[in-house]
Amino acid sequence: MNVNLLLRTIHVYVFVMCVCFCSCTKEKTDYEGERETVVEEKAEFKVVESIGVSNYLIHIEALNGTLYRGYNEIRLRILNNQTKSPVQVAAVTLLPIQTAPTGEKSTCPHQYVLDYKPDGEYFAGYTVFTAESGSTGNWVLSISFTVENQTYSLIKEIQVQPQTNKNLNMASFIGSDNEQYVIALVAPHKPNVSENKLVAGIYKANKRIDLPANDPLGQSLFFYTAVEGYTLQLDPRMPEPSMGNHSSPNNKDLTQGGDGLYHGIVNYTMTGNWTLNFILLDDKGKTIRGTEVPKDFTPGVQGHKSELYIDILF
Amino acid sequence: MKKISSVLFVLSLGMEVYGQHAVHADTTRRLEEVHVNALVKKRIENEMKMAVSVDEFLASSDNISFIKRGAYAWEPLLNNMGSERSAITIDGMHIFGACTDKMDPVTSYVESNNLSAIDIRSGQEGSMHGATVAGSIDLKRKSTPFGLQKRIGGTYQSGFEFNNKQFFNLGNVYYSDEKFVADGSIAFRKAGNYADGNNHEVVHSQYNKFNASLGLAYKTSPLSSVRVDAIFDRAKDVGFPALPMDLWLSRAIITSASYKQLFEAGLVKAWDTKVYFNAVEHYMDDTTRPENLVHMDMPGWSTTYGLISKANVKKGRYTAEIQLNAYDNLSIAEMRMYPQDRSKQTMFAYSWPWVTTRVASIATNNSWEISDRSRVNLGASLGWNYNYSKYVEFNWIFYPGAPQQKSRLLPGAHASYELGINKFDFSVGTGFGHRAPSVSEAYGYYIYNSFDRYDYIGNPDMENEISYEANASAVFKMERFSIATKANYFYIKNYIIGRILSLGSPMNYQSVGVKGYTSLDYATLFNMAFDVKYKVLNNLDWKAVLTYARGRDDHGGNLPFIRPLSYQTSLTYTYKKMGLHTSLQGDFSQTHYSPEYGEDQTGAYKIWNISADYKFNVGKLDLLFQAGAENLFNAYYSTYADWGNIPRMGRNIFTSLKINF
Repeated sequence: MNVNLLLRTIHVYVFVMCVCFCSCTKEKTDYEGERETVVEEKAEFKVVESIGVSNYLIHIEALNGTLYRGYNEIRLRILNNQTKSPVQVAAVTLLPIQTAPTGEKSTCPHQYVLDYKPDGEYFAGYTVFTAESGSTGNWVLSISFTVENQTYSLIKEIQVQPQTNKNLNMASFIGSDNEQYVIALVAPHKPNVSENKLVAGIYKANKRIDLPANDPLGQSLFFYTAVEGYTLQLDPRMPEPSMGNHSSPNNKDLTQGGDGLYHGIVNYTMTGNWTLNFILLDDKGKTIRGTEVPKDFTPGVQGHKSELYIDILF
Repeated sequence: MKKISSVLFVLSLGMEVYGQHAVHADTTRRLEEVHVNALVKKRIENEMKMAVSVDEFLASSDNISFIKRGAYAWEPLLNNMGSERSAITIDGMHIFGACTDKMDPVTSYVESNNLSAIDIRSGQEGSMHGATVAGSIDLKRKSTPFGLQKRIGGTYQSGFEFNNKQFFNLGNVYYSDEKFVADGSIAFRKAGNYADGNNHEVVHSQYNKFNASLGLAYKTSPLSSVRVDAIFDRAKDVGFPALPMDLWLSRAIITSASYKQLFEAGLVKAWDTKVYFNAVEHYMDDTTRPENLVHMDMPGWSTTYGLISKANVKKGRYTAEIQLNAYDNLSIAEMRMYPQDRSKQTMFAYSWPWVTTRVASIATNNSWEISDRSRVNLGASLGWNYNYSKYVEFNWIFYPGAPQQKSRLLPGAHASYELGINKFDFSVGTGFGHRAPSVSEAYGYYIYNSFDRYDYIGNPDMENEISYEANASAVFKMERFSIATKANYFYIKNYIIGRILSLGSPMNYQSVGVKGYTSLDYATLFNMAFDVKYKVLNNLDWKAVLTYARGRDDHGGNLPFIRPLSYQTSLTYTYKKMGLHTSLQGDFSQTHYSPEYGEDQTGAYKIWNISADYKFNVGKLDLLFQAGAENLFNAYYSTYADWGNIPRMGRNIFTSLKINF
């Protein structure tokens, strides 16, 4: 047998094959790339504002260097203005304050005393901005910290941008107990067609605090706290009429975890618009807000939404 | 019998044996003694109609039935089992359709004029090409022998069918010399909508198909040759009346390169190795159905690379085949739904989330002639099946924590004994074999089935399906008369079937619920065929076949798609250059239907066909003209396996002219 000829034939053949088949008539969907354009994932903390106070420089950091309506993780870095190295700081507090056009002041759910993260040498907390800066009012951050027994405080105006990622949407409402609540989605930033761990913060405005007499704001505010032992029942559905009230299996209601946030599981069976229909129950199982949605498959009919819902898109 | 076997064997070894004048006599003399199992190989043609499609041809076989979603691309059922239970190959090459709804079975990517025969083996006897439960269907490509006396030849066939205005042109040419052979074929078929027995047009039943093939062979030595083959197939604008969407385009390219070596001495008589590649793309289209609530795209792709290596061994009264198979397939299917407001975000999911299947298997078939009257066949196979789902998170929605990859071992074995006493031939056989779940069964995701109107979800964690079978046949043969009966029984453990899930809700708007593929504890299937042939006169033949099947699940309920009692009988009369054929076929009423699996009862039907042909010559050309009518009395009927009870074609007058040159 002639091995060379065989090999040559196979070579020619493979070549012809490659030429014929390198391309399909329709391109396959670039699944990962496509979702990138719908949900831009902001993974990096950047400086939002830098403020100099006395001998110190304070960096306010957030994902993408921007504060959005909804849940924001916030980091504060306090540096020596000369050496640009971190300083030994104690008792760092953060208070976001919104001033409505009427002059009325209010705050939003947030972590007042920030945690020190030794590995990154910063202080971490969160703020759930309930509105973007603009017609409804403007936002300032009131920050205080103590170095060598001396307390410094400052106020910085910040810009809160509209939320561009619907997966971090929030809802604020007055519950059946006449209390003001805020539910903010914390994760996932970028859901998948899969099982997703759904994390939300649930807060109630229930404590009136009096600010120190020397506080420049000189006023008392409602303070939000995370609610304890509530349950957030979940029923995710696609609202698009053609999807006929489509839902997904194996979802889990959100219950409180050790971190104070509420954790559950949501399954998205395909990309697109989804509505997270919620029913919020307090620690005694009493409905605070939310209604059952129909479970029937109803093609052609826009999906009914619970009285308490958050729309997402990915 | 002996003679037929050896001819078949030579055929299966390859046409190159012919025409090797130097070694021809020697090789054939030795090969004459070779026996192989009586293969159910058929030429692609039946007496009734010479221009049959591959589907029509298969339909004339005892153990094949079809699921039909329209006039095109029927899914063959072997022993009343779906295509995932049988190994369907082209010259042993594995090809997987790219449509999640099985709208493109392998048989739809070939055309009758590039095939020479179809090799159907029932049950574990079909495990040579890979693990199977039902058996194997191997479509044999045409390949012209080396050194034919007539160096260039060919066939051209054209015809028209009146019912659906089908116009077809089929052409073949070959070139053959001592060292080199080329085969080419080309086929066009274009059909409009057909009309049912009430003369109502069945909309969306049109099709348009183009198929071309090329094969080149070169003799590298007196006993060896290389061959490259390619088939290109394109179907366009194919309607599926039973579905809410049609096919816009499907294309397949099926290629292979093989090397064959014959040996004059020694144990091994022939060794044949082939590498292959095929790619299929399949795009459904619903823009032809404005009544649909949702516009959606459903493209699918399937790419397979593979290797086959086969050796034929013979020593004395012992013959054997050993075959190694390996292939890698990637199946991808997408669905994208568009909201009413097209400017809004579309909705996307994978119905096959980039599923890779890798298979390696080795199989052997051995046969000993213990005496002149009896023979024992023993076979065994062992396969390794590996699956990997790239976007396994889709599968986790229904089966949280299912593994992303899974390996399975697929053993199989079979044994049979054949005995001939005077005018009787008997055989008994048994076998067992495993099969892995198909891509859809394991990883399918919201695959809409418009038969029962459920969305199907695959389960990656199912056990292997294990089949235990027994079969027997008895033939009584006289010069003018023969009567044969054969039966097989399958006990299938972990039988995979879709069952309603209490989870989730439908995704496709036509759907009524979600079904998940699950394993029944077991299911049983019994098939029986009864066959009579009688040569009434020298030029008058009568044939009749009666088939019966019964399939039951583990609760004694009926399995779906089991053919009711059915019959086929035909008379053929030849006189000089004229032939007259008539046949009657039908099913009895389907009594064992399964409402649980979406079936309703289908009534009995019978259709009567007639045809006549005439051979003549024009110059050097041999011509054959045929005209006939199928469903002569314009019966209105649909069969148990017609999706959506779409009626079958009414009276169809067909004509064709075949020219041999």
